[in-house]
Amino acid sequence: MRIMQNSGIPIYQQIAGQFQEDILSGKLKQGEYLPSIRGLAKDLRISVITTMKAYEELEKNGLVTAVQGKGYYVNAQDSEMLREQHIRKMEEYLINAISAAKIANVSNSELIDILKMLIETEENA
Amino acid sequence: MYKESVIKIKDLSKKFKGFELNIPSLDIPKGFATALIGENGAGKSTFINILAGIRLDYKGTIDYFNGEKDEQLIRENTGYTGPGNYFMPHWTIPQIASASGLLFEKFDKDKFYDICNMLGIEISGIKKNKKGFNKLSDGMKMKVILANVFARETKMLLLDEPASPLDPLMRDKLCQMIREYIEKGDGENSVFFSTHNITDMENVTDYAIIMEKGKIVEQGFSEDLKEKYILVKGDNEDADIAKNILFSFQKSSYGFEGLCLAEDAGKLAGLNISKEVPGLSQISIAVMKKYTKLA
Repeated sequence: MRIMQNSGIPIYQQIAGQFQEDILSGKLKQGEYLPSIRGLAKDLRISVITTMKAYEELEKNGLVTAVQGKGYYVNAQDSEMLREQHIRKMEEYLINAISAAKIANVSNSELIDILKMLIETEENA
Repeated sequence: MYKESVIKIKDLSKKFKGFELNIPSLDIPKGFATALIGENGAGKSTFINILAGIRLDYKGTIDYFNGEKDEQLIRENTGYTGPGNYFMPHWTIPQIASASGLLFEKFDKDKFYDICNMLGIEISGIKKNKKGFNKLSDGMKMKVILANVFARETKMLLLDEPASPLDPLMRDKLCQMIREYIEKGDGENSVFFSTHNITDMENVTDYAIIMEKGKIVEQGFSEDLKEKYILVKGDNEDADIAKNILFSFQKSSYGFEGLCLAEDAGKLAGLNISKEVPGLSQISIAVMKKYTKLA
């Protein structure tokens, strides 16, 4: 796991994001336990409360369940929710692209053309 | 999950000429590292000395380990370090190890030497080291003191300015020692330390208590404090409006910056500003400045 101290993204969000990726990609499987909160804090050299907040974030998003005294385990991921999560992520990236386009003075139709072109190159690759 | 306290304080007060420590109520959370932040003379050492049982002339009640009454047990489960020379000045490191073994049941001599070694105190030199404790440098003294307290089996550490005499590398090591101690306890071990330089300890601080002139002026889990305040930066044409809304405010020829309470963020609508999540040191400095001015 990579944590960036000065990226502007809160550390708890970076941790939650990376676990979310591992869960959605199936790297972390249903029923598997996340590392212990205090152990992860020690390994990442950050405070306990930050890892705790990351795990709570994952719980809020329905990705894991907390068990008193045992930690957090990965929930079963239904495919509908998985799709939903990916779509949300896609939207987030597209919004980033739109704001970058604005800064660079790229018109909407140009932006759409670029997207179409990228889709074509991806498909042919 | 974090409702339990390791120490509960009610109506604590200690008066000096021209200074009063006054804490109506305070809970120190169990299983976390708590930082006591404040400028020199804010009352941090007085407070830790009271908690550690060094100073007994205070009013109020302090509850340890959820109602534990056995003072011997409290002492055995509590480790304290401070700036004073509480080893005899002529004691050598092996003598310190022997004395600590007599004083505390759960002092592990081998662990003490291991930690000394880890902190870069020459282990081969130690055992025949004839140098008395008072001949060591300040940084070296603190390393021996820390090794001594981490070599004991305890449930709570009270550390008064542990980082001050240490170089940046050693401060980093100290942070990791605190994290390992907390991890080992699995929710049962707590650390309470004071510092006037939070930057070095920011990544180990779970709960922060900010003290000014003997009073607690702000406290909370660091992640909650980072949501309570927003770091705002803007251009000088908006400075006058922002000044009245912001919690703390600083202006230069390039623009202004300051902390805004999250609940007031709506009032900044329409201004051309950028927002960031503040660090614990930025929050501490803003809070300390605010209350120094008021007093």
